[in-house]
Amino acid sequence: MITAQDKILHVANKLGLTSLKDMQASTGAVYDVDTDLSGQIFSAATRHQFPSVTNLTDNQFEVNEALLVENITFFCKDEAGLITNFQNLYNSNAVILFDLVIGNKRVMKDTPVFAAGSPYTFANVGQQGSLDAGNVVSKYLPRNQVYMEGAGVLIPPQVQWYVQYTIYNVVTGAIIPPTAGKALGCYLFGTKVLLNFNTSI
Amino acid sequence: MATQPQKLAYVDSKLGAPNGGQQTTRILFNTIENPGTTSALTFFRNFQGLTNGQTNLTQNRLDSMESMVIKTIWLAQYTSAGALQSTGGFVGQTVSIIVGNQTVVKNLPIAFNQGIAGQAFDRLHDNGGGILDTSNTETANFQRFQPCEIRLLTDIVIPPQVAFEVRIDSNSGVYGSGAVVCALSGYGKIFSAGNSF
Repeated sequence: MITAQDKILHVANKLGLTSLKDMQASTGAVYDVDTDLSGQIFSAATRHQFPSVTNLTDNQFEVNEALLVENITFFCKDEAGLITNFQNLYNSNAVILFDLVIGNKRVMKDTPVFAAGSPYTFANVGQQGSLDAGNVVSKYLPRNQVYMEGAGVLIPPQVQWYVQYTIYNVVTGAIIPPTAGKALGCYLFGTKVLLNFNTSI
Repeated sequence: MATQPQKLAYVDSKLGAPNGGQQTTRILFNTIENPGTTSALTFFRNFQGLTNGQTNLTQNRLDSMESMVIKTIWLAQYTSAGALQSTGGFVGQTVSIIVGNQTVVKNLPIAFNQGIAGQAFDRLHDNGGGILDTSNTETANFQRFQPCEIRLLTDIVIPPQVAFEVRIDSNSGVYGSGAVVCALSGYGKIFSAGNSF
């Protein structure tokens, strides 16, 4: 079985990143919101506020830092700036079609994320609900995630990445333009490599 | 136990298919508009008139350098107003997957993983996608159902350039005037001329 560490070291070796194996292994997530409604997430992270909109200063990692993407998740930021469920704002029939681009290479291709709850999120394990007067869960808020099958995809150090997306109505096929108060956000979660100085500085 | 990458590499090598490419996760989907009442739905057969928001393929096969594993089958039925419903109602239905000339999943029941049965195959669904709070009617924003989802126990490979389709059989299933969507998810490879991330 290929572990996350195996995959990171394999890619690092292929790319000639000889010192990545000496760095600190960790767990990490990066997030950003398309507040410009441009159809791209992460590409404008450098202009976004920390930490309410993003936890990045640039859409590339510094020397000897990397992230093995194991979970890609979409969410919305509502008018009040609250992190909100995508289905709750765009309805069950919306579908995000996205590409993940690292450097000049598309590593996730035309991947759908269904507002109604994506494949392999095991649907109602992620359920939340509003409670009515009788304390009955009255609706689902599905999970809009892609769990990477196999061993994930590595974002190497000092290579820019972004997510390009379009939202459609899956019933009619029409494009749903993102609107203010419904800005789409994304986080990438997985095994992180952190810069670790072995010598004193 | 063979992992999805190992199974894909094994089958591709047996078939003499290219083994390079970018490792990734593929989710293929296809929509049938206004399916009505029918005993058989076939996905990944018709692509005419569908937009990129209704299918992410243009033909019923992967490109020459691409292949994938089917690990999850996902089905969702929508009304024309966009409300999610249980797929085909709560009646008995089966799903079959045909790759090339071979049936690789045969008449696997889907009704248990949705609706009010509450008896999903796997232990990860907490109540099989059951409905809740029946006093409210579902709307596009008010989602009372969950999509039907089955996680397969074995890895089914779709090799490059081999036609495939997914068939739902029922006794006059009621699929409505909106749309029914089928998605297949799993590990895959897409064309890449360079190193794999």
